[in-house]
Amino acid sequence: MEYEASKLFFAGIDIGSTMSKAVVVDDQGTMRGYVVGQTGAEHRRRANRVMEDVLIKSSITLDEVAYIISTGYGRVNVPFADRQVTELTCHAKGVASIFPEVRTAIDIGGQDAKVLKIKNGRLTDFLTNDKCAAGTGRFLEVAAETLGLGLNEMGQISLQSDTPVKINSLCTIFAQQEIISRLSEGQPLPDILAGVYIAVTTRVVKLARQLKVEPPVVFTGGVAKNAGMVKAMEIVLGMPVLIPEEPLITGALGAAILARDEAFKLVQAGHYKMEKKQLSEAYIEFTEKDR
Amino acid sequence: MVTATTKGLSRAHEIYADRGRRMRELRKAGKKIIGYICLYPPIEIITAMGMVPFRIFGDMSEPITAADQVSTTVVCPFLRSIIDLGIKGKFDFLDGAVGAHTCDIGMTTIIAWRDYIKDAPFTHLIDVPHTDHAPAVDYFEGQINFFKKHIEELAGEKLAEDKLKKACELHNKQRKLVRDLYDLRKSDTPKLTSMENLEVMVSLFSLPVEEGNELLEEVIKDVKERSIKPSRKKARLMVWGPVFDNTSLYELIESAGADVVVDDTCVGTRAFWADVKAPYDLHALAQRYLVDIKCPRTYRDTQHQEIERDYDKDLDSRFNYIKKAVTDWHVNGVVLQSVKYCDTHGYEVPNLRHYLDTLGIPSIYIEHDYSERSLAPIKTRVEAFVETLG
Repeated sequence: MEYEASKLFFAGIDIGSTMSKAVVVDDQGTMRGYVVGQTGAEHRRRANRVMEDVLIKSSITLDEVAYIISTGYGRVNVPFADRQVTELTCHAKGVASIFPEVRTAIDIGGQDAKVLKIKNGRLTDFLTNDKCAAGTGRFLEVAAETLGLGLNEMGQISLQSDTPVKINSLCTIFAQQEIISRLSEGQPLPDILAGVYIAVTTRVVKLARQLKVEPPVVFTGGVAKNAGMVKAMEIVLGMPVLIPEEPLITGALGAAILARDEAFKLVQAGHYKMEKKQLSEAYIEFTEKDR
Repeated sequence: MVTATTKGLSRAHEIYADRGRRMRELRKAGKKIIGYICLYPPIEIITAMGMVPFRIFGDMSEPITAADQVSTTVVCPFLRSIIDLGIKGKFDFLDGAVGAHTCDIGMTTIIAWRDYIKDAPFTHLIDVPHTDHAPAVDYFEGQINFFKKHIEELAGEKLAEDKLKKACELHNKQRKLVRDLYDLRKSDTPKLTSMENLEVMVSLFSLPVEEGNELLEEVIKDVKERSIKPSRKKARLMVWGPVFDNTSLYELIESAGADVVVDDTCVGTRAFWADVKAPYDLHALAQRYLVDIKCPRTYRDTQHQEIERDYDKDLDSRFNYIKKAVTDWHVNGVVLQSVKYCDTHGYEVPNLRHYLDTLGIPSIYIEHDYSERSLAPIKTRVEAFVETLG
């Protein structure tokens, strides 16, 4: 084992609508390992799986994990978590741990989008768009399916455009029809794709403007990996955005850091003994039943 | 008076579950039951005529199916729910329905009632002006007089001055008792939950005033005798906004780890904070309803005599009653809720949030479509809001 046995670790698990993420940090809050996987239909099985995987990646055993926080859409389906915290608080914490100066964070997930205002590393205000697929990753997936392109490919092609077409419709389904009619008009593909990214970001930036966008802005979520999306975001916002090395895991990272903070707080208050993990039994029991 | 089999909070719980039950009994015994929509029909007059006022609410757990024939989906779902329940015969115990121009849809609801709902053959619409200017109060007094004459026709007798005075005193007593009950949530650990409180409030709108007062006295006694468990909740919240007649929102907020200690809604403080003042005449009623009830449907243009408008002063004159409640109940966060399409409250939100910002009180704005299922997506936001307060 790479680390001393006495050293303890803390985990954050983010079960999102599309992707599940897990992060392990050490007692200094430094990341030791992370995994990202599809969520699928079975949240509980997925939670076990990402936990197992992240332990392997981090070269530790569950016994060495002192405290676990679950977050995200499926946070209630992580039976071995010590606590659940909303993804809004976790994202803010994760983003601020990477960019301590951050004031605004924009996160676009598989089926929701959120805007966070952060001050001194703390979440101060937020807005979410969680009723409609417009302005989320799902919108881009629908566009990619319509055009028969891969998501990354779509981003790369869009970069060739200097004159994005206007996609007026904010509804995912109507926008799909609009893409088809622009194609039949003979508009160049890069311009249509650039237009798609502008349409998605416009929707999210509208949300962000309600809270006043203050720099520095951090852009996270799966779509922040897409070059076309990042370019569109900077155009629509009118300012540069910062992107973490792995923009998918900020929620899980925040959860892991909060797990560490919470465990230390409990130890100080005398409520918790940070030794061998009692929860490991519950975890193994559940995993075995599940198999 | 009929002796109820249960008392206090358990009685409130029963009435909350079946609001019409006591009304049906009373009607069988020969009482006239007059339903009313929103807070603006002066219920003292109904009580004084020997009739029973019954506040008409919707039902968040009943999908709106019948109302689509008479109203489109672009209007207030709370008022649509009322029409829906009416068409379905859920208000068959009413002898009359009184509406007021609280907002445009509030007015059309009573018109739709007249046209489409067979129950309650007596209907009346009270016109309510939208400012607290002195001529508006005079005009509203005229409208109350017009309503009085109409209901006198239904009763077949004149409204006696002494009966109106007595009714005002009974309703004022109820208001005082409600304020006493709210005081019991000022302590570090509130002595009753916001769900229990709402059940009591809804019960008061479903009982004759004397029975409501009796219920309140029982509840206050029960609650005072309670031994309080120390609370570990980290936030003390206020809920603001239009009508919320269902415990579901309060359950959602309390399960997120907060106590709701006070509200500014018309199923709570707004309905009970202002008394009718002596000499208990129609002018006193006009003053109480139009000026003293603090609902955004009346614009409190207190600067109208000054030449220059001062935004901050204006905000303070509109919202300082909220500042007082925030201080008295030690509130550290406000949940602004609104039913969809409520322009009356919608216009108020940015100003009120700005005002709360200046007080250093964090707030969150949530919107629902007056159905229990529409609350689920709000859950994470409320939880995150509570986390930011911790």
